[in-house]
Amino acid sequence: MPGKIDKILEQVEQSRVWRSIFRSGRGTSTLHNALAIQQSVFLHLFSTKVRKRMLSFSSTWYLGTLTLGTFFILIVTGVLLMLYYHPSVPQAYADMKDLQFVVSSGLFLRNLHRWSAQAMVFLVFAHMFKVFYRGAYRAPREFNWVIGVVLLLITLLLSYTGYLLPWDQLAYWAITVGSNISAAVPLVGSKIHFLLLGGNQVDANALLRFYVLHCLILPLAALLFVAVHFWRIRKDGGLYVHQSEPKKAGAVDETELVKEVQ
Amino acid sequence: MKSVKQLISSAWRALFGDTMRAFGIVSVILMLTLAIAPAKDHFSQWHGYQNGYLAMIRERGDAISLRRRFEPGIQQIWHPEIGVVDRCETCHEGLKEASLADVTTQPFRKHPVIPHPLDRYGCTICHRGQGAATTVEEAHYSKLAGVDPILPARYIESGCGQCHQNALTGTPQLNLGRQYLAQYGCVNCHMVKMPDGTVMKATDDPPSLEHIADKTTREWIFTWLKNPQAYAASATMPNYKLSDADASDLSAYLISSSKPLAGDVDTTIIPAAKNADPSAGASLYGESFCATCHAVQNAAGNLVGGDVGPELTRVGNKVKPAWLQAWIENPHSYDAHTLMPHYRFTPQQVATLTGFLMSKSDSDYSTDVHLGTATAAQIAHGRKLVAELGCAACHTINGVKKPDNFAPDLSQIGSKPLAQLIFLPGMKQTLPTYIASKIKDPSAFGPGMKMPLLPLTDAQRESVTTALLALSERSQTMPEKLRIPGVHQTTYEPAGRAGKLMADLACFSCHRINGHGSDLAPDLSLEGSAVQAQWLDSFLKNPNTLRPALTRRMPRFNLSDADRKTLTDYIMVAYQSPNIDPDKAPPAVNPPALVEQGRQLFYSKYACQSCHTANTNTDKGYIGPVLAQVGTRLQPAWIYAWLKNPQALRPGTIEPNQNISDEDARAMTAFLMTLKSPGKQEGKQ
Repeated sequence: MPGKIDKILEQVEQSRVWRSIFRSGRGTSTLHNALAIQQSVFLHLFSTKVRKRMLSFSSTWYLGTLTLGTFFILIVTGVLLMLYYHPSVPQAYADMKDLQFVVSSGLFLRNLHRWSAQAMVFLVFAHMFKVFYRGAYRAPREFNWVIGVVLLLITLLLSYTGYLLPWDQLAYWAITVGSNISAAVPLVGSKIHFLLLGGNQVDANALLRFYVLHCLILPLAALLFVAVHFWRIRKDGGLYVHQSEPKKAGAVDETELVKEVQ
Repeated sequence: MKSVKQLISSAWRALFGDTMRAFGIVSVILMLTLAIAPAKDHFSQWHGYQNGYLAMIRERGDAISLRRRFEPGIQQIWHPEIGVVDRCETCHEGLKEASLADVTTQPFRKHPVIPHPLDRYGCTICHRGQGAATTVEEAHYSKLAGVDPILPARYIESGCGQCHQNALTGTPQLNLGRQYLAQYGCVNCHMVKMPDGTVMKATDDPPSLEHIADKTTREWIFTWLKNPQAYAASATMPNYKLSDADASDLSAYLISSSKPLAGDVDTTIIPAAKNADPSAGASLYGESFCATCHAVQNAAGNLVGGDVGPELTRVGNKVKPAWLQAWIENPHSYDAHTLMPHYRFTPQQVATLTGFLMSKSDSDYSTDVHLGTATAAQIAHGRKLVAELGCAACHTINGVKKPDNFAPDLSQIGSKPLAQLIFLPGMKQTLPTYIASKIKDPSAFGPGMKMPLLPLTDAQRESVTTALLALSERSQTMPEKLRIPGVHQTTYEPAGRAGKLMADLACFSCHRINGHGSDLAPDLSLEGSAVQAQWLDSFLKNPNTLRPALTRRMPRFNLSDADRKTLTDYIMVAYQSPNIDPDKAPPAVNPPALVEQGRQLFYSKYACQSCHTANTNTDKGYIGPVLAQVGTRLQPAWIYAWLKNPQALRPGTIEPNQNISDEDARAMTAFLMTLKSPGKQEGKQ
């Protein structure tokens, strides 16, 4: 039985259709594996080879991956929430109520989005602390650290713009206070304030602006910078190798531990 | 300790030791977690109630028809124009089922019959609560900002008041509450802007204190200020709980600021006739219908009389005899705007009535109050108190300006956010409780609270609370087409000599003309089309009652012939109906055959005698006016028009519109015009 399945799989993988999609072809050689990574638009951002040690929990605590995971959860739940939400003053709050009381699993959806958002902010900070304290920002990774800082800002802005969308008292006053802080910037403060809210106070225009920022501009920016961030991991020499421990005499050379990862 | 550690580590190995197994376990946990949300949906509270409803109706006789009308799932009443999204019917499934009248368990009870269809305006518009919610807690007792918890049923009439600014027959509590707001002078200090844009006006008619020293003594003012209700149980003046010193200083200022009335008021007391009948005063008081407006406490402690004027139980303790005499002589010389008519009593009558009223005193009242001459410091402090307590918001007081917006605006008190209220410890934190407690004992809310204690009973307080709750934010934002404006007084004033005379006689204290005046007596706006001039003249000379079921209350004013003629002529000319053409009126005198036909119709076809009395010997109808002399009272054109459509001439009259044909109306008019007073008939013979 298992032999039969393997045979069918083999046939599928050798078919013309499969080959036209996955160009690397069948095989378990290092070349094949490297090609599989390199020739996929999504995977080619990553290194074709990774040290096995880097994949253990202790080396990164998976903080970057977990951040990416929450980001994907946020995209999926966010898109689903967009199906029920109108960014208009009379409707926004009523839509929250509908999600809470009428939409099947609507409350779950909202809570999942909210808690994932909280988790993402936490994870981003944790990731940055880890990188900082391990010195992973040092050359040649300085630029990737800068991109990471940009991603931190985008994450915080996403969190902030999403806060207004429920259009309840908490949201309204939080954004009123938050936007007034921007108004305190010398010289251009009031202009920034006006630009941010599309007016002088939190109203329909502010809601629409925050909605567009939250659902379109900021997520796209985040995706772009995430892509660059990952690309730079590969270009800057793969995941950072922790070298603070002194090499023990007679220890196995690290290069021997390299293992292909698909 | 060690074994626990071993247990945990072995469990960990068993579950996550192997990569595949760990993956499987985590997947199962994830699946279960994801199943929680749909499960919560499925076992939601409203599902339970709908199942309960189905179980309940299954036992009933009309189970099949109830089951057919049952709709599963979330039910919703949606009216975006008034902001209603009410899902109450999701659980309250039986609201519209008339056959569930015997069900007492909620949420399955039937809704009581109300004038609107239940889904026309939804539930929360009257009951409050969070309409969008589908859980018991969130729907009824939400603490979210901007969401009111469910309104206790005893204040439910406030819901009606959000659209209906007029008085409805079905909302006695609301109507009374609004009346009290005006009657107890609440709106003298508080601004109450009704949703139709009008500002509520006080009807308590607080007296001017400009000439108070002419009227009463400092001792009386002191005793009154200490406790107004001790002087008159029905007094609407609130109790400010003043200390002796404050009351004394206030009285000192009021007496010192009082200016003697301009003009020479005769202060010589006319002595009552020596051999006067001791009951003459009481009978004159009765004949003049003083009790229509003034109340007196009887021996049993009950108030007898109206509440238009002040209670007179202890008036002898209050007023100075000379003032009372001048007042009875002509009240307008002391207070130009008083509701009291100028009676034109003879000097002897004035003396009799003054003596009678001065005898209405309580020998125990304020006997031990002796205030010396006021010092300048007392007067100055009294003046300060007048300003602080806002006395001038109600009374006209020399030297103190009427304060603007003395107390908080109450126009939206019915939606005041709880976050803006300061509750007393241990108090139920809801808006109705707050309002009712504040009215009950304002001083409990802090020593600086200026609001006085109003003499209201529990039921009256509940009414006032209802009226205040009706002043909600929703009532202000209601679409214009749903708003029923209140009936408001016009500023109509008759002109000329007749107008002056009518002001002097205070006709508008009882009668309403062209939307101005009170509803104690008939509306006179169309009187000129209705009655005959001769009858009106004789009625003014010697009024009598038209309705056997009512006590006559129209007083006799001792008018001169010229004054009567002025009034009669003015009324006959000015108060005409535009829809009655006297030229096209049926004739006043008709052939006997037509009269006889009218009589037949009156007694048989339309059976008017069930309510009216045309022949005092045989008929017993007492609901409508007696018609025995209607031929001398009314004009034929009016009778004809009235028979055709009574409501067109007097909206709301209980006489039914019987769709009487022109012919029948003509015949009955002919018959009614033959019903003349005996005097007239004799004259003709």
